[in-house]
Amino acid sequence: MFGSLLKNCLQFSLHRSLSPRQSESADGRLGVSALALQAPAGASVPGACAAVLVDANGRSRRLAAGGRIALHEGEIAWCVHPGPYSCELAPFAAAPEIGLRVNFAIDASDPRATYQRFDLFLASEGGAAVELDGFTAAMENTLQRELAQGNLDLPPCTTLEEWNVFRAGFNQLMYTRFGVIVDDCVPVDLGAARDYAQLLETRMTQQPLAPQQRDSAAPLGAQQVFVPACEDARALRRLFLELPCLMCAIRLAALPQEQEQFRQQQELMRRLDLVSLAVGTMPALELRAPNQPLAHEEQLRRARHSRRAASALDEAWAMLARLKTGGDAVLGVSFDEADRIVANLEYETAGRRSVAVPEEEVAA
Amino acid sequence: MSAPQEAVCRSIAADGALLTITATRRPRAGRADVKCSVPGDAALAERMQQVVRLARHTEARFDSRDQVLLSLDRAPPGDWRDWELAAVLADRMVRGVLVARAGLTANGWSDAWHLGHIDGRALANVPAGVLAGGAGGLPHLGALNGQPDPAAAVSSARAWFPMHSGGAGDSLGWVEVSVRPAAGQDEDAVTAPGFDPVRQAAIAATLTAARHFDGRGQSQWRTTVRFGEPRFQGESYQFALVMADRIARGREFLARGRVIASGSSSAWHAGKVEAVEALEAKCALIAREAAPGDRVLLPKEWETGLPPGLRETLRARGASLACVERIGII
Repeated sequence: MFGSLLKNCLQFSLHRSLSPRQSESADGRLGVSALALQAPAGASVPGACAAVLVDANGRSRRLAAGGRIALHEGEIAWCVHPGPYSCELAPFAAAPEIGLRVNFAIDASDPRATYQRFDLFLASEGGAAVELDGFTAAMENTLQRELAQGNLDLPPCTTLEEWNVFRAGFNQLMYTRFGVIVDDCVPVDLGAARDYAQLLETRMTQQPLAPQQRDSAAPLGAQQVFVPACEDARALRRLFLELPCLMCAIRLAALPQEQEQFRQQQELMRRLDLVSLAVGTMPALELRAPNQPLAHEEQLRRARHSRRAASALDEAWAMLARLKTGGDAVLGVSFDEADRIVANLEYETAGRRSVAVPEEEVAA
Repeated sequence: MSAPQEAVCRSIAADGALLTITATRRPRAGRADVKCSVPGDAALAERMQQVVRLARHTEARFDSRDQVLLSLDRAPPGDWRDWELAAVLADRMVRGVLVARAGLTANGWSDAWHLGHIDGRALANVPAGVLAGGAGGLPHLGALNGQPDPAAAVSSARAWFPMHSGGAGDSLGWVEVSVRPAAGQDEDAVTAPGFDPVRQAAIAATLTAARHFDGRGQSQWRTTVRFGEPRFQGESYQFALVMADRIARGREFLARGRVIASGSSSAWHAGKVEAVEALEAKCALIAREAAPGDRVLLPKEWETGLPPGLRETLRARGASLACVERIGII
């Protein structure tokens, strides 16, 4: 216990020995291994940090360093250290020895924006603490999915032009999805830290050769435990808070050029509005009707739908990032993609609402 | 990406006759995502739906707008499962996830479709041109694009290279590099079964030199190299071999499709890529064969002599082209 405290302090002083006010920060993790920590009412905001206060509807305000956190009814406060932070991402799961070293910082409050993306991230996904490790994993997931879907390209023997296009897309993606600004991003050799030969050797010892035993012998630690109630609550919270902001941003990012596009966009917005309404009025996970419990398998099914709706939401953020970088050129292409994403959102929210798999889906 | 309305994939049954799986697509309209039909065998249809749904877990993109109807033209005997791979491929082809040549025939079954594994095939003698699942053929679905299986203990990757024989016989051949960890041996063990000692030595020398340039991978791996078509001449396979090796060792970015490379080098230890012969014939072949997501790599020296419009043709097909002077990170 004391050892780890000491280590934290040491790390802290090594990284931030330049600013004397840093020592006032009660917790050495901020700015080093954590991006944001929840703070109690009445605490003062440490130097170099800012406080983000979020109310129950996701509206946020910021307090500068040195201020005292005075909470209104229903507000939660986080202390946020703007960074900079450094992390290593593996763009392809199948290529562990090649990666990207990314330096990023958290955006200061932008007075022109209708919402602050990082504050929105805190409100919808924040929890008690935003650790650097968890945040890095989320960034890596986002990047890997975009690459797998072909929205970003990082092919073998990437040329300089291709790299620049990738960087522009990647920066915008990270800003749009997480509200962080990527300062620097370079390809690195991760061979020393993640040795593929060793990784394969571990796999070989863990997996028996017979394919029949493969499933039972899969390492349990690697698989995340799926707790329906937590998963469902998290996903619905995200949809509830993020959909309105997303709609607002899409409307601003994609200005239609002609009547036909305008009509298409209106139609999409109308459907998104309905999805948003459906999320706001979603029935409780564990009830099939007021005061009637729902079978556990059906709860699992509902939670899976919520989770997939949340990943459709991630795709929508990524699409917004593409709209912002590509401008009018991607507008035409994006309508089909937007239609797909909205259709998926509609499908998943409908699945979350229903108490059983609809009969026509089983039969037809 | 435009997907066809209908796709057909065949499979060889136990009696040697062909089974035909036809996939069609229509708006979903609240129905099931996959609907299967087998004449006179509802249980098999249900099994087919399960197989296709499981295999879809390995895809990156989900689209809830379409329903895919799969129909098998006649019911195979109860324990015959080799149609499974054909059903999975037909489902991918009709949605444009996989672009395959017409008249594809495939045999293979699996107990782990959700991981993309293909465990084997029941067909004993596989005729030429038939895609066979399992060891020695297609071990998992990602291998269609040459990518390593993210769950296997042996990492193998493929790259393609144009084989030019003066006209009608031109085709893309593949080279597969499989590596398994071998700590503590003195030097790299590279084997290429089925080749004469001269070519074996050339392959081993190429890999050793390219790994020397890489700075890693020496004395770390036991390597096996296989070729789709073992009869070929020239050195232009070397670049594809080096790329497959880098991908297998997890040290290269990945393309969504195949890697198609042509080039040799007298100095792999310096990472240099040099020109080979038959530029025009090979570029014409590549322009014909390229599929969405493919990555074409050619020597830098060829850049000025490329046929006009090649880049645009490839881009229109969703493939990309780079002329490379040196392998490795930018």
